Amino acid sequence: MSSEATAADKEERLKSALWYAIGQYVDDECLHKNLNATPQFIGALTELVYTQIANTSRDLETFANHAGRKVINTDDVMLLSRRNEGLETVMKQYLDQMRAKETPAGVTDKKQRGRPPGKATGKGKGKANN
Amino acid sequence: MPVATASNAPKRKGPIFKPPRPVKPAAQLTNASTDKRATGAVPRSAAVAKKAAPSRPTREPIATLISSSESESEVTNSEADRDEDMQNASDVDNSTLFQEPTRDPIPPRLLSRLLYEGFENSNTQIQKGAMDLVGHYMNIFVREAIARAEMERQDARKGGGISDGFLQVEDLEKLAPQLVLDF
Repeated sequence: MSSEATAADKEERLKSALWYAIGQYVDDECLHKNLNATPQFIGALTELVYTQIANTSRDLETFANHAGRKVINTDDVMLLSRRNEGLETVMKQYLDQMRAKETPAGVTDKKQRGRPPGKATGKGKGKANN
Repeated sequence: MPVATASNAPKRKGPIFKPPRPVKPAAQLTNASTDKRATGAVPRSAAVAKKAAPSRPTREPIATLISSSESESEVTNSEADRDEDMQNASDVDNSTLFQEPTRDPIPPRLLSRLLYEGFENSNTQIQKGAMDLVGHYMNIFVREAIARAEMERQDARKGGGISDGFLQVEDLEKLAPQLVLDF
């Protein structure tokens, strides 16, 4: 029973932390947009985000398991956006940016930037990657 | 010197005038929100920040400054000195604006903790890159929720309801189903 109590306690504390973070963000955003948010709004948004994160983590785990892996990688995360084309585009952009940063040499960075217009001059390689 | 500014004038692309405001984090947020749609759209983010300026009731002297040039977005030559000051100020503002990293709604470590809480199998792990991507995903989620709530609020205002500009839980209730379907 004590373990149950501590589990509930832990969840409560995590939620509080999330509440704080979301509250800060909403306040910033509202200040900038000349809006206001009721505390109830922030609470409800926190609840929504908390549930979304829980769903997301279960989804990711399932995706990885389906691929026979124990480690979640970026492909699994990209699957999250499978139903929303716009979202997929944004995520893909971010992923490409991330990869461009990871590659240490500036040469490869340039190469990646050159690729999109490279369709005109495109050799088969660029297309195969897309 | 006035000659130089006069020759400069036609070259300017719209919004160079941005008064120095004590609201760096807000300006930075503008950058973040525009950055989401079009990465590296420098002049646009500046324009948005400027547009947002007159509607905020921060300080009176600044508000008058804005109205003096905001009426016609081009500044006349007689105001060259002040214009130059403002231009410098906007330059400074812009540079700091892009140096600072965009603020995350959810701190990465908290998100990572929450994700690990959600895993059923304790052996499951997540790569660093995947973690960053999930962070980006959740950022979009939160931003989208707030943006849609704002839309709901505007609709409610048009509908003739009493509105005090406060985002309500009702707004969130209306947008939640579609939002969750979209994510």
